[in-house]
Amino acid sequence: MHELSICQGLCTQLGNLAGEHGAERIRRVEVEVGAMSNVVPELLAHAFEAMRESVPLISEAELVIREIPLVALCDGCGEEQQLEQFALSCPGCGAGPLKIIQGEDLLLRQVELEIEEEVR
Amino acid sequence: MTKIEQIHVKESLLKVNDFVARELRERFTSQGSYVVNLLSSPGAGKTSLLEASLPALAEDYRVLVFEGDLETQLDAQRIRNAGIDALQITTGGACHLEAHQILQAFDALSPEEPYDFIFIENVGNLVCPASYDLGEHLRVVLLSVPEGQDKPPKYPAAFRGAQAMALTKIDVLDYFDFDPDEAERLAREIQPDIDVLRLSAKTGDGIPTWLEFLRQRREERLAAR
Repeated sequence: MHELSICQGLCTQLGNLAGEHGAERIRRVEVEVGAMSNVVPELLAHAFEAMRESVPLISEAELVIREIPLVALCDGCGEEQQLEQFALSCPGCGAGPLKIIQGEDLLLRQVELEIEEEVR
Repeated sequence: MTKIEQIHVKESLLKVNDFVARELRERFTSQGSYVVNLLSSPGAGKTSLLEASLPALAEDYRVLVFEGDLETQLDAQRIRNAGIDALQITTGGACHLEAHQILQAFDALSPEEPYDFIFIENVGNLVCPASYDLGEHLRVVLLSVPEGQDKPPKYPAAFRGAQAMALTKIDVLDYFDFDPDEAERLAREIQPDIDVLRLSAKTGDGIPTWLEFLRQRREERLAAR
């Protein structure tokens, strides 16, 4: 349910980036949502849709959400394992401990900005 | 002419909140305030734990409580009735507290003398508050006996982000199929280093241990400054 807050934060970040680069519109935004980031990709997409109307910067923007699976490195067998859910022991060798190396983050990865240039 | 510029970034979507939280933590640390963020589902006993334990803590320390709720001043009033300074932060429907709300509330208060302990009672919810750093030094997740022992695997992010788990309402253990050892084991599967305390606000069981735990953690933190 906090996806709207996350999306508001995203819009602030996009506004800052656009300002730095002198852009007035954003064409495309790519984010990564980890399986254990506590964010539901569909709800984030809905929140983004809901914010289009009030945020001109993103009114035409395409939102691409890449879902990142939970991946852990096993101390026992040294293998990387993709996990369906959080686990302490390795699904490969049964030992552990496992160190989560991917799937907990919520990241902004790529932005395509439209910059108006004066024709000389 | 419109030029398209593609920029690659690697920024957390919580960057704005995390920035404010870091500033808050630095400020609290430098003034000697130890900040505890309490997380749980609604009704797990956050307010009751504070009511039952803070008067004893306030004999030796200056203590402040931030109460996060969707609506009403009820919880802040309960804490004030226990003789402790409390500020209510109403979120107006939002499911969690964010760092800027703590910053604003604290700035509005601008205490003359710093507090030794600041407790933040988050909105009752085991999902959303887990994502928001509030500038705390210690995050405690509460799990009450009537809720059942299977909460850690069901809400992994809440337990993974906590340094301590308080098993609350242990006075009613006899009436529920709740195995505290199993609850501990499940929590350690998610967060191997989690400290576990067993408490009852009603009978006072475990409260002295909880207070000693808080005192020790604060001393350690101040020594590390």
